[in-house]
Amino acid sequence: MPALSRADTSTLGRWWWTIDRLTLLAIAILIGFGYVMMLAASPAVAERIHVSRDSFIFKQVFFLMAAAGVVIGTSLLSPKGVRRLALAGCVIALVLTAMTLVTGVEIKGARRWIALPGLSLQPSEFLKPCFAVVAAWLLAEGKRTRGFPGMAIAFGVYGVILMLLKSQPDIGMLAVVTAVFFAQLFVGGLNLFFVGVGVAMLGASGVGAYAFFPHVRSRVSRFLDPAVGDSYQVNTALEAFGNGGLLGRGPGEGRVKDILPDAHADFVFAVMGEEFGLVVCLLVLCIFAFIVMRGLLRLLAEHDEFVILASAGLVTSFGLQAFVNMASTLHLIPTKGMTLPFVSYGGSSVIAIALGMGMLLALTRRRHHGDVS
Amino acid sequence: MNEPPPSNAPPAPRRGAPRIGGATPLVENVRVTAPDLRRRAALEQSRSRLLIAAAGFMVLFGAVVAKLASATIIFPMMPKLSAEVPVVPDPAAMAAADANPDAPMPGTLTAQHGPRAMITDRNGEILAISLPTSGLYANPKEMIDPADVAHKLKSALPRLDEQKVLARLTAAKQFVYLARQINPREQLAINALGIPGVYFQPSERRRYPQGRVASQVLGGVDVDNHGIAGVERFFDDRLRDDATPLRLSIDVRVQAVLRDELSKSMEEFTAIGGCGIVMDVRTGEVIAMVSLPDYDANKAAQATPEERFNRAVTGMYEPGSTFKLQTASMALDSGIANLWNEYDAANPIHIGRFTITDFEGKHRFLYLPEVLAYSSNLGAAHIAQSVGPERQRAWLSNMGMLERIGVELPETGRPIFPSVANWKEAANLTIGFGHGIAVSPLHVVRGTATLANGGVLLRPTLLAQDPGAPPRVGVRVMQQQTSDTIRKLMRLVVTDGYGKPADIPGYYVGGKTGTAEKVGGHGYKKHTNVSAFMSVFPMNAPHYAVYFMLDEPHGNKATGGYSTAGAVSAPAAGRVIAKIAPMLGLLPDIADMPQLTAALSVPMQPGHGYVSRWNGPLDFVPPSTPLASATAAVAATASSSPVPTLRQAKHGRGPEPVPASMPPQPVMRTPEQMRHEASLGTQVAAH
Repeated sequence: MPALSRADTSTLGRWWWTIDRLTLLAIAILIGFGYVMMLAASPAVAERIHVSRDSFIFKQVFFLMAAAGVVIGTSLLSPKGVRRLALAGCVIALVLTAMTLVTGVEIKGARRWIALPGLSLQPSEFLKPCFAVVAAWLLAEGKRTRGFPGMAIAFGVYGVILMLLKSQPDIGMLAVVTAVFFAQLFVGGLNLFFVGVGVAMLGASGVGAYAFFPHVRSRVSRFLDPAVGDSYQVNTALEAFGNGGLLGRGPGEGRVKDILPDAHADFVFAVMGEEFGLVVCLLVLCIFAFIVMRGLLRLLAEHDEFVILASAGLVTSFGLQAFVNMASTLHLIPTKGMTLPFVSYGGSSVIAIALGMGMLLALTRRRHHGDVS
Repeated sequence: MNEPPPSNAPPAPRRGAPRIGGATPLVENVRVTAPDLRRRAALEQSRSRLLIAAAGFMVLFGAVVAKLASATIIFPMMPKLSAEVPVVPDPAAMAAADANPDAPMPGTLTAQHGPRAMITDRNGEILAISLPTSGLYANPKEMIDPADVAHKLKSALPRLDEQKVLARLTAAKQFVYLARQINPREQLAINALGIPGVYFQPSERRRYPQGRVASQVLGGVDVDNHGIAGVERFFDDRLRDDATPLRLSIDVRVQAVLRDELSKSMEEFTAIGGCGIVMDVRTGEVIAMVSLPDYDANKAAQATPEERFNRAVTGMYEPGSTFKLQTASMALDSGIANLWNEYDAANPIHIGRFTITDFEGKHRFLYLPEVLAYSSNLGAAHIAQSVGPERQRAWLSNMGMLERIGVELPETGRPIFPSVANWKEAANLTIGFGHGIAVSPLHVVRGTATLANGGVLLRPTLLAQDPGAPPRVGVRVMQQQTSDTIRKLMRLVVTDGYGKPADIPGYYVGGKTGTAEKVGGHGYKKHTNVSAFMSVFPMNAPHYAVYFMLDEPHGNKATGGYSTAGAVSAPAAGRVIAKIAPMLGLLPDIADMPQLTAALSVPMQPGHGYVSRWNGPLDFVPPSTPLASATAAVAATASSSPVPTLRQAKHGRGPEPVPASMPPQPVMRTPEQMRHEASLGTQVAAH
């Protein structure tokens, strides 16, 4: 570690002594796992879809480096800077998400991506952290300033996002955004009656999604009854875990990964299970849990409403995404295509997550009371 | 936690709010701290809610931990990866195979994931076998030094062209084949080179060690090892699903002899094709089936349509004079004719625009045995006329001549015959001598086998009957007594008729020649014949039917320019019988020759100058008949005793020795059962 003096008052010096270094370390470890798993999982996939063995690796090396840069760069910001960045990001992401409906690339029946040279961008990924911060600001400001209809605006923005994601359709992303927004309302002190109403509505909309979106229905029915339809992917993933056992087959010794679709992206956790076993999987799980727990518990000492709500939203988003990925790989919940933060392959996803974590680190930096605004 | 516990410091001032400081009077302070208290209460609520959220996450992650432990160590689902694991031969097994080259290669003939089942002949000789091989391929993108790789591969697999391999290894592709069908030894050598980016693809290859010998029977497979013709196609599912070898009724030695003779005769008489069949008349098992020209079954895909054409079951030919046996049988069996009936062979028959004449006819009245021995068309036409078209049609239908043959081949053809409306007088007469109807050679063999075996129609089969299995079920279609008479008449054709060249001493061959002019564009083509000889031996205890046919043979000096069946096919059939009989466990019976000859003899002119109404046993030979006068006394005794069988071969090579006594006769059936059987068509399963 660079020797930075406590007395160093440069931007970097202050950043180093105020940043949550343990969370930063945890993120660095995850990025390291991202590199390792890319080496393990992507050649098999590359071979199967007949592109160069290394094509995924080179791209992801670049993406992970960029992600590290985004984490550090964003964490240098002040809370005010975070808010501005999130506002700008939210507007841009909303516009781009709207554009996907018009010019988007259709992949597997959904229009979620915008084709850029070298990568396809999924703008809704960026919407997730940005909206969490914006909603937090609106809610906090609504409480602080009499007459400012923060909550109404937040619901309005949420409604727009709901319409956009439903049209793509991207029900999984919508579910996460909704859950995060709800968590923020909950932490923000929502009346328990409305909490109950909210939970009921979440349940109802889940049933609605099952009823109205065929791909949601097929995934859920496949989850409930493996005999229905094709549960090849999930079964193969479970075989990978079974093949790995306690200590795994060893790096590069995975075999199920050769036949596992999406091994490098949504199902990377299964490849980890096969090659590195239960122990390493638990380690990774602990790192995610650590980031989430530490993020939430540190907020207990926080006084600023905006910081609490924004950080809680970002942490919830991060933790839910990790949970959904691992749980669907393990057949604990219906399959939902969601990446494992920092570990899965994917350009826009890893950058968006880096953005979110950077904002979290920036918000949770130590500062004097009253430094927020 | 680095943060200090929450202090009681006042919260940050709200923007634009009036500054409230220490200077404010105490009484006012109570009023303005109310929002502060609210905010503190709100913060406290947020903190408790954060704790709830954290607890929620603990539950979620705990569930993942539990499921993770379950999936990895508590109830692991093990993958089924047999197809994904690269197959590399075991060096120890290879060494063992080197030490004992005759031993089967371990793990090759009994590979686990179901190679196509073997096909053997009735004695277990391998006719078709799937051998494990590998394809060699490479991913050029993984090549480090293609030139070096090409050089190394050349050293391990000398048949490779190094330049071509190099060109492929440097292609801008992900997958290039370098060699197909490499054997396990080569695979091991290449594997030992340890070249990255070079891979093996397990596969199997169907081999036919006998090459051309039974190619049309076996058929062949395509590149995906699916049967495309013959038994391979008919039993495609069976061969894929059941690994036990499929044992055919074919005897590959007999098959080879038959093919050899047929091939020689084809060459000698410059015929365009030929066909030979050997069938066990007691069981219906096809012992040999040859059609020429043929092809190498290993290269079935390159065979021409002419080579693939199986004359034995697909080819429909006018049976010609071989059908006169049927005509005589139907007349004798129904009691319409007797051996001493005479038929006008002096005057040509004019019917419609046809004129029926005899080939080198006798121009006189002929007794029934003479009609067969001299193969008189006129005589046969008159016999058929006496039977009538309805009974003729019913008889031939019972003999299976009007339906597909039902043997286990996909190529069986449908016979060609007149409709009921057209099966009138003219058809009645011509079909009597085997014209105006076309059936496959196997139809002729089946029908003749029925005439000889005592009168039981059996579905021909290509599957070997297990020794312990119950006898195959057949259908009785004629009287035993008629069959006994026909056996003698068939023998007469060989002893005194056109079939003479087929006689092999001690085997008591009986048969019938058949020469039919082929149908061309406009009527019959002169001098383009199908010359067939249909024989059964030994006639005293019929066991095997031998059919020998040449398609468009040309006479040569040795035959005096004749291309008729008696000249070209009968001698060859005799040679075939002389060779195959010992293989089939039969030795010539010379010692009992006088008795057997007497028992089988029948006068050429049973009524000539002697009796006009003979009701005694047909074995009785009137003393005035010169043909059998010398053995008349013996014949009289032989008629009352069972017909002696041939002596058994003591040292025959046949692994399936013929039992000392006659095998059980096929099961008889009532007419009702017969009709039921007929309605089932050819679906009757082999037993």
